[in-house]
Amino acid sequence: MSSSGTPSSESPPASVLAPDAVVTTVSSTSAPAEPTGPPASPSTVIANHKKKDTSKVVVYFRAIGSVPIMKQNIYTITASNKFSTVIQFLRTQINYRPSDPLFLYINSAFSPSPDEIVNNLFKCFNTNGKLIVNYCASPAWG
Amino acid sequence: MSLPPSSPVAKAIWSGSIPILFTLDDNELCGRGVDMGLMIEAQRCSYLPLLAETVRDHFVRTGQVSGPGEIWFHYKGTPLKWHYAIGLLFDILGLQASNNCAAEGLLPWNVTVNFQNYPGDKLIASCADSNVCKDAFMSMIKEADYLRNGTTKKVMNLSKADQTQLWDGILKHDYNRFWDVNHRLVLNDGAAPRHLPVRIYLPGNSPVIQEPFIPADEQDHPRTLRQILNDALPALFPLEDDATAGHAAGALIHGVKPSLETSALWAAQNMAYADNFLHLVIVIE
Repeated sequence: MSSSGTPSSESPPASVLAPDAVVTTVSSTSAPAEPTGPPASPSTVIANHKKKDTSKVVVYFRAIGSVPIMKQNIYTITASNKFSTVIQFLRTQINYRPSDPLFLYINSAFSPSPDEIVNNLFKCFNTNGKLIVNYCASPAWG
Repeated sequence: MSLPPSSPVAKAIWSGSIPILFTLDDNELCGRGVDMGLMIEAQRCSYLPLLAETVRDHFVRTGQVSGPGEIWFHYKGTPLKWHYAIGLLFDILGLQASNNCAAEGLLPWNVTVNFQNYPGDKLIASCADSNVCKDAFMSMIKEADYLRNGTTKKVMNLSKADQTQLWDGILKHDYNRFWDVNHRLVLNDGAAPRHLPVRIYLPGNSPVIQEPFIPADEQDHPRTLRQILNDALPALFPLEDDATAGHAAGALIHGVKPSLETSALWAAQNMAYADNFLHLVIVIE
């Protein structure tokens, strides 16, 4: 996974979205087309579903306890990414090595598997249009 | 405290098993020892890491491997996600992939064992510690609870003993131990859930679909599996069963294809895997 773009140097107010996509993946040229006309064949439906969705969602990082805070804590991320991308991005932002313990939670409630799709998490668990990701250096919430 | 439901469906699902023949990857055969696989009748609702020690012991005892090394499994080259239930893996990689809703010809399920070259790019970090598997399981239980209630209070309010009993029920394959606690979660203590914990798997390694599926319509009637599937995949699951359509898609749950007119809430309560999610594996006919 690569990240591109840079966060703006000053932290935006909490209510303002980061202006640029910070985490991106190599994306296809177009979003999945909505089927029109006659019903799509199963293979078309599956092929459309597998196309990389380039839409983005807003992720709001919140530090818990003694863990480095981020200068900017609201980012947009490509919705078709896996949650592992969020984990990697956060580690880079707070200069954590792979061996440093880091625990991520959604809504201070549960820890998604790294292979869950960000878009699914957003659709199911966003709060007012933001996916709240809490992070800490030791396990919280069970 | 109510008694665990004695749903014959829940019980049959719990008893579901798959014969698996574990063989060592050809590339890892070290030339000595007996080239002998291991057959295990694996529980559909259990997880591969819970068999890992038995499998490793077998290959060490028969002299095929020396012992250490991170164990992982693959089927026809596809690494098996250890945090998926065994039955779900078989339904996706066996039944769905072969476009075959009958298990004949696929059993015993030939799973290949590796102790080298853990595919960290395809599998989440290793499950060497069985606590890792338990943690992954509990996270799923909490995610399911969050979908039902918008909080994880029901799981968090379980006593330590109850939480242990849940996992212990899986380890020991003890229906009563597991369901004694699990029924409070899946039945939500009688309260209507906000959303149903459902995941949908399309063929061809497509991204998993998970949405906040609503269990009842505006008239408070339970919505059917077809309606839930239509929310996510309207082209594959039209609401009107169109006889003129040349194809039909179905959904496998625990290897069987239930009627799509089944109440989705009932299915989520009685046909979920141990992780509290109803996993729907889509097959195209």
